Amino acid sequence: MRMLARRLSLYVVTAWVAITVNFLLPRMMPGNPVQQLIGKLTGQITPQQVHAIELAFGIGLNQGLWAQYTGYLHQLLLGNLGVSITLSSPVSSVLASAVPWTVGLIGVSTILSFVLGTLSGALLGWFRGSRLDSVIPVATFFQAVPYFFLGTVMLLIFGSSLHWFPVLGAYSPSVTPGWHWAFLASLVRYGELPVITIVLSSVAGWMLGMRNMMITMIAEDFVLMAVAKGLPRRKVIAHAARNAVLPSVANLSLAIGLVVSGALLVELVFNYPGVGNLLLQAVLNEDYPLIQGIFLVITLTVLAANLLADVLYFVLDPRTRTEAAL
Amino acid sequence: MSSLRVPRSPKVLVGAGIVAFFAVLTVVGPYLAPYDPSATTFNANLTPSSAHWLGTTALGQDIFSQLLVGARATMIVAIVAGVVATLLSVTVGVAAGYLGGRTDDGLSLLSNVFLAIPGLPLLIVIDSYLPTGSRSNSFVIGLIISLTGWAWGARVLRAQTMSLRNRDFVEAARIIGESRVRIMLVEIAPNLLPVLASSLLFTILYSIGAYVTLAYVGLTSTAVWNWGTMLYWAQSNNAPLANQWYWFVPPGVCIALIGTGLALMNFGIDEFINPRLRAAGLSAKVRRASGLPRRPRLGFTPVARPRAVATVTARGDAQ
Amino acid sequence: MASTIHDDAVLEIEDFSVDYGWGEGAVRAVNHVNLSVRRSRVLGVAGESGSGKSTLVYAVTRLLRSPGVIAGGRARLSYDDPRTPDAPRRHLDLVTATSGELRDIRWSQVSIVLQSALNALNPVLRIGREFDEVLKTHRPTMSRVQRRERARELLSLVGLNDDRLARFPHELSGGQRQRIMIALALALDPQLVIMDEPTTALDVVTQREIVNELANLRARFGFAMIFITHDLSLLVELADDIAVMYAGNVVEWAPAHDLYHAPRHPYTLGLLNSSPPLSGPRRELVGIAGSPPDLSQPVSGCSFRARCAFALDRCSREAPELRVIDESGRKVACWLQESVTEVPAPLRRGVRRDDAASVSPEAVAR
Repeated sequence: MRMLARRLSLYVVTAWVAITVNFLLPRMMPGNPVQQLIGKLTGQITPQQVHAIELAFGIGLNQGLWAQYTGYLHQLLLGNLGVSITLSSPVSSVLASAVPWTVGLIGVSTILSFVLGTLSGALLGWFRGSRLDSVIPVATFFQAVPYFFLGTVMLLIFGSSLHWFPVLGAYSPSVTPGWHWAFLASLVRYGELPVITIVLSSVAGWMLGMRNMMITMIAEDFVLMAVAKGLPRRKVIAHAARNAVLPSVANLSLAIGLVVSGALLVELVFNYPGVGNLLLQAVLNEDYPLIQGIFLVITLTVLAANLLADVLYFVLDPRTRTEAAL
Repeated sequence: MSSLRVPRSPKVLVGAGIVAFFAVLTVVGPYLAPYDPSATTFNANLTPSSAHWLGTTALGQDIFSQLLVGARATMIVAIVAGVVATLLSVTVGVAAGYLGGRTDDGLSLLSNVFLAIPGLPLLIVIDSYLPTGSRSNSFVIGLIISLTGWAWGARVLRAQTMSLRNRDFVEAARIIGESRVRIMLVEIAPNLLPVLASSLLFTILYSIGAYVTLAYVGLTSTAVWNWGTMLYWAQSNNAPLANQWYWFVPPGVCIALIGTGLALMNFGIDEFINPRLRAAGLSAKVRRASGLPRRPRLGFTPVARPRAVATVTARGDAQ
Repeated sequence: MASTIHDDAVLEIEDFSVDYGWGEGAVRAVNHVNLSVRRSRVLGVAGESGSGKSTLVYAVTRLLRSPGVIAGGRARLSYDDPRTPDAPRRHLDLVTATSGELRDIRWSQVSIVLQSALNALNPVLRIGREFDEVLKTHRPTMSRVQRRERARELLSLVGLNDDRLARFPHELSGGQRQRIMIALALALDPQLVIMDEPTTALDVVTQREIVNELANLRARFGFAMIFITHDLSLLVELADDIAVMYAGNVVEWAPAHDLYHAPRHPYTLGLLNSSPPLSGPRRELVGIAGSPPDLSQPVSGCSFRARCAFALDRCSREAPELRVIDESGRKVACWLQESVTEVPAPLRRGVRRDDAASVSPEAVAR
């Protein structure tokens, strides 16, 4: 339990750091980017909006930095992330409509990628030296391809050239969203190519990590014992894999951030209506309140996912449950 | 540590070859470029030809020149970021691992926080506040990337330092009364080299990815040619849908190739650090001659064909 | 005697050789070894680390890891097939056995206990799972409840409460873990249990308890045992016969008490002098000078020659072979036993080790 408590406190600190960075960045950057933005937007937005932006970024206020900071934290607690400049609606409601898409897409892809990578890595490790080894350079190549580039190529080949998959968007424009079969089927159909892209890009990491751990595990006595017990081969492999997976799960919480970073761009390529797409629109439009809100939400979501991964590790490794053993 | 024998497997050699090729390209690329990559003097959207090996952009720029010139900025940012991040991670990792106690707690917390924050969104946020002037500065971009990429290395180096700290020779140095700094620099640092090298390769790999992504999103100056900027222009001119593969595929493949090269080199270092990963050094020929299987099988010790058999058949003619 | 060994042997190892690596770089780790284990008997195998004692046993069971290679020989396992109890005893040469045949006899006929039970038990599985898995694989007709019952019964055999079944290996003490390994090794009533230094990692008291328990269990269930150790005094309590290995060769193979009280090979004598006596007055321990030879360097003559206080000229030219030297069936590979003259007092036939110190000049002359 202590391990989980420690991780939880780490995430609380991390969340605080992210929030503080978010608060300080626009106030510390040289050249006062927000002021410039307001200058650019004059005439396009109402004075009330200008005032709201000024408030959010502490411009022209007679308040000290500390008072601004506490005010900022207070607004955050209330769920107030400011108002998007370009969309003229509260950042929180803009995010509320985008987050489920991203969590769904990246969540499904990450789980698939982890499961596939771990299983194939276990086999690659066990059958080291066999012809299966030729998968390694190929996997390494896919790992090195930027997600968005792979997405573009996939889109081009399997989407617009071969027409195997529908492209652009999260569901067919001809169905109305809702909890019915036609919509869900369309959702899966449109999700296939983005999911395949993210899995292809991220699977190699899990695969190679698992392979290495598997090779390390095979040298352990208990694996030899499993053979000595006359267990069938798949059970022997399972003995080794069950232990080899632990470092992968431990790394899962660290790797989620990386996968999310890459996967956000896949949304852009496939015009998926998630947070990644929104972030890039916000960047293009210099919509600072939206950028900040997205950064916070992504960070908090990743931290929550990290915590889930830690819980999984806790469940999988009995040694973490005995305080004395660690 | 007595012999720095990096395994010379084909994987490592191919990786080193690829990396060397791109290192050369970084230096000579801009001189090899046939045209000014920004000059819009040619017809737009030309397909590849002998004059324009990779055709031209929608603005009539020579794509091949962009590719050659773009190698430099991409690599410089990656190397700046990789080196700075590695320096950061060595400092934090070794200090945390060697000093222990409160210092360790504090530094570990710091690196764990940086590990937990998703790097790219943070980069995008920082970068979006940068004045346009800084966005064209490779060193500024490199520094910012290094800020998000040092934590992993620090973590690995800390673990390695902690295990070294308790080894006999470090213990001996401490008893002799060598200063902490000296022990860290002279006794511990050299033994961290393999881990350090691996960490450097990885941060360079990460930095290439981060830089290209920032450029692709349009957050670096579009006036500086790098492979990400090329992809940015290709994407914003709908090159993929227009089937202009020669515009967006070459930079993407270059990124993937250099990444593959770095990762393959890293295999060699991994095998150096963890001897269990090394394949037993044997030639397939000898193996087959002895009637042994291709691959060792756990729990099925192979039986060699007696060597005598080979000699008998060799002498067979005389009998 | 030699002929009777063959009749009721569980395992016969003949002309067995093991190499590490192959081709030019091969290193001979076990060199033309002949040994056998009789039914319900305990064969002790002793030697320093690197003597090839573990290599031999792992290679015989085909469990030796790469780059270990069996370079020749036979290892015949004889057993009654539990599925056809009335059929005559079956024989299987482990060297030529297929992986299916091996899987069949593994654990059901030959089980093994390793030095470190902590490493031998899967760290993420409860103890109960280890028992369940073995029973499920080899006794597919057993029900879940029966398997559970059998696991309890096995634990009680080694003096453990059945609440241990719900524990993980790291929650148990070293002694408990090793007992669990022993219980696990007996789960299928095997013909042969191999013990690879099972007590080395334990404290002396626990060591003693476990050796006593093993002796009792053997008496009760009648399995044969190969017990590997570097501790000869431990062996003499448990073993019926002891084989002493040096540099890949068996240098002496004799009934345990004969070997202990009257060693006939200088290396055996050295080993005995370097381990504390079981009982009786304390005696000064003497190590064996020098270190085991580098197996990658070919040696001419006897491999122990360089460390032997009694080496003859002949020892540097010819390697001695294991020969029967007396009516007890004792075998020794030493030229001293073949030269009629100059046998050093402690190694002379008919002389007990404890008396050797007081052997008078007259006795030598006799």
